[in-house]
Amino acid sequence: MADPELLLDPAIRIWVFMPIVVITFLVGLIRHNVSLLLQSDKKVELQQVADSQALIRSRLLREHGKYVPRQSFLMRKHFFNEEESGYFKKQKRKPVMKNPMTDPTMMTDMLKGNLTSVLPMIVIGGWINWAFSGFLTTKVPFPLTLRFKPMLQRGVDLPSLDASWVSSVSWYFLNVFGLRSFYTLILGENNAADTSRVMQEQMSGAAMAMPPDPNKAFKAEWEALEVTDHQWALENVEEELIRGSNLPPEEIFVKDKFA
Amino acid sequence: MASRRANLEEPAQLIQPLCSSWEDARDLLREWREENLRNSEQVVEVGDFLMQRGLAGKLGDEVWPAYEQIFLAALECGRLELAQVCYKQLRRQFPGSLRVAKLEAMRYEFLQKYDVAEQKYHKILEEDEANSAVHKRLIAIHKAQGKIPEAIKELNKYLERFMSDHEAWLELANLYIAELEYGKAAFCLEELIMANPQCHLYHQRYAEIRYTQGGTENMELARKYFAQAAKLNPTSIRALFGLFLAASHLASQQKGGGTKSSKSENKKYAAWAAKQIQERYEALGQSEDSQLKALTATLDSLELS
Repeated sequence: MADPELLLDPAIRIWVFMPIVVITFLVGLIRHNVSLLLQSDKKVELQQVADSQALIRSRLLREHGKYVPRQSFLMRKHFFNEEESGYFKKQKRKPVMKNPMTDPTMMTDMLKGNLTSVLPMIVIGGWINWAFSGFLTTKVPFPLTLRFKPMLQRGVDLPSLDASWVSSVSWYFLNVFGLRSFYTLILGENNAADTSRVMQEQMSGAAMAMPPDPNKAFKAEWEALEVTDHQWALENVEEELIRGSNLPPEEIFVKDKFA
Repeated sequence: MASRRANLEEPAQLIQPLCSSWEDARDLLREWREENLRNSEQVVEVGDFLMQRGLAGKLGDEVWPAYEQIFLAALECGRLELAQVCYKQLRRQFPGSLRVAKLEAMRYEFLQKYDVAEQKYHKILEEDEANSAVHKRLIAIHKAQGKIPEAIKELNKYLERFMSDHEAWLELANLYIAELEYGKAAFCLEELIMANPQCHLYHQRYAEIRYTQGGTENMELARKYFAQAAKLNPTSIRALFGLFLAASHLASQQKGGGTKSSKSENKKYAAWAAKQIQERYEALGQSEDSQLKALTATLDSLELS
């Protein structure tokens, strides 16, 4: 390269680069252990289990009902869908409208989640920003375009700087998201230290927190089962068996498609 | 030379212990635990190895599931003293745990103090009513006492709530068969077929139940499901024999006006199955010529009748 390279002070390596790695790693360890301490095992309600198992059974009936005789299929369909006494018609659950603000267990769960995930990220991130701001810590060994500058050089606003240099704050963020395999190595699978998992949970958290309304699920399953018809898969099984494996594949796929 | 060496090695392998170090023991136990194997004798052997040399502590946190595993295996092998050791360790570590409470109740079950065990199980259910394993233990108590009708009743109640518990459906099918209630057992097998339509054993079992029930309609179902089992697992001799028997039975029974498939078709299926069976046996080896002849004769006689 023709233009003069930047030379970093070795002290930066010892007092900025390494400390950030160590701090991020230790914070992950602490978070894992704290979340283990705060974990509360969730009680499953019998009714909830029964509902979900009924839904699973009905789904299996829809998908694999073709493997049982027609009479058996209709018997089960009747059990689930009969107008007056069918399982999906009869079971009336009181709608679960859990308000997270009034339910104390959900409140504490949310608080604990925030305590172990969001809070440390804000606090440590802020502290790193305050303590180590303005350093260039390392350089990625390949050229990057200008668009990477806000990602890799947060806190260092130098328009003329090559985009492959990494600032201290960005180095911290790289560590936060990149130490996952280290945690798996040390803490085992499914540890709580992993930040990217926390992020995912937050993304889907809004949908997950509200338990699905069984009445709605039952109605949907009722509809799906109602339109399911019995196409016995074993209608010509003996012929298929005798003809054996020389059945051309296209025949298998086309069979019964428009029947 | 090679054969002699093999002969020498064989007894040595029999005596050779399953593990020689605590790492081995840990890996073995872990593997069995993860694969859900039920090889209690080996587990007890490994457990003995760990206990006698005082190596259990080396397992770290993994020692607790290992204790539970060894406890269950020890109960199954009637080694109460080994179970006792494991139980004491677990109790000390987890005083309030429901999982340990379940083990305690299982120990009472082993001692045939069923009343006490039942009480303990009910106490667990008061705290965690969705604990399906404990529900199943309660049913197992009935079964252990030989009260099959009660067990069936309880299992039915259980299945009303845990509808997609396939093990329970299978168990219920077995209980119904023990009570000769084939129609109900067939219902349970249908559940299993729907849960796992790729498993040829369920199809075969269902066909066998239908075959046992008898009657033209059931026999046709049996033929179909034997055929399905043979299709799913082409190496299944049992399914082929079943197909042969069901089809030849139908062929001999129907007087022209069969329900769906005519006499000639049934004959065709029976002949096909007989040919398949013969081919399989021939492929196995010509040395058992007399057996093969006997088989051919049997098949022929059945077909003619």
